[in-house]
Amino acid sequence: MATRLAGYYAQAANEFGVVGRMKLAMLTKIPSERAATEPDSPAHIQAFEQALKQLRAGAR
Amino acid sequence: MKIATKLQLLFAGIVAVFVLSVAVLIAQMSALSGGYDAVLASPVRDMDQARVNFKKEVQEWKDTLLRGYNPKDLATYSGQFRAKEAAVRDGAVALSKTVHDDQARQLLNQFIAADDVMSAKYQRAFDVFVAGDADFKAADKLVRGQDRPPTDLFDKVVSRLETKVQATVAAQQQSARRNLLVALGFSGALLIVLGLMGFLTVRSIVKRLARLHAVSARLAQADVEGLSIDISGKDEIGEFGESMAGVHAAIEELLHAAQAPVPAAA
Repeated sequence: MATRLAGYYAQAANEFGVVGRMKLAMLTKIPSERAATEPDSPAHIQAFEQALKQLRAGAR
Repeated sequence: MKIATKLQLLFAGIVAVFVLSVAVLIAQMSALSGGYDAVLASPVRDMDQARVNFKKEVQEWKDTLLRGYNPKDLATYSGQFRAKEAAVRDGAVALSKTVHDDQARQLLNQFIAADDVMSAKYQRAFDVFVAGDADFKAADKLVRGQDRPPTDLFDKVVSRLETKVQATVAAQQQSARRNLLVALGFSGALLIVLGLMGFLTVRSIVKRLARLHAVSARLAQADVEGLSIDISGKDEIGEFGESMAGVHAAIEELLHAAQAPVPAAA
């Protein structure tokens, strides 16, 4: 169970709403439904961290 | 590898095959031309000229005997005889220095020696002719049949050189055929390899483009249910497939957002 990956979606939803979720899915290529089942692998975590950084940078 | 790089490499390969083929062709023509130059530069033609001079020398001797009773004719024909005699000897000596074939050179040296002996006999016969008041019978008796051995030697030299020329020409033709086969085989093999590579590259591109087209058609219809985008690779199509995967994930996320709340963070 990918609790950390699901947590990234929660952060994106809190900070940017549905658009944030959509952009996170687009950047990571893993939608929230799949993120819930994917393993919290270092590669996945790095991809989500990077995507969130990108979203935050874009919001500034 | 990028598609552009693959196509550039393919193009460069075709150009390389073409350049290589031209280089091989030029080298082959050069070798062939060199071989025929050697044939043309061979002393066979000079030998023919020397043989003609030798025959004329004998003819001038006969004219000397036939018409030498007239002092004016004697001076004319004996002068021409001596000129031809000198030309034959000089020609034979020059040829013996330029001929590369050992056997031919040996035969030429034998001819020069025989010619020296014959010249001495001609001189003695000429002296007898002049002293005997144009006694051509006495003079002819001294040299009769003396020109046959040198003539035979000359014929042997020419025959030997002609055999060498024919062998050189045959070797040239064989070499040209062999080189042509090698060049054709090499170029053909390279073209087949390049053609196969080109065919495989184009087939791969077309197949992946077809998969990309199918994915984009389903995305255009918002038919994302069970859609799987498996278009990988480090080329332009792979990058496009990655972008499509992002779009697919975004659409799925939007659909999911419309249906269910965000999963709670741990």
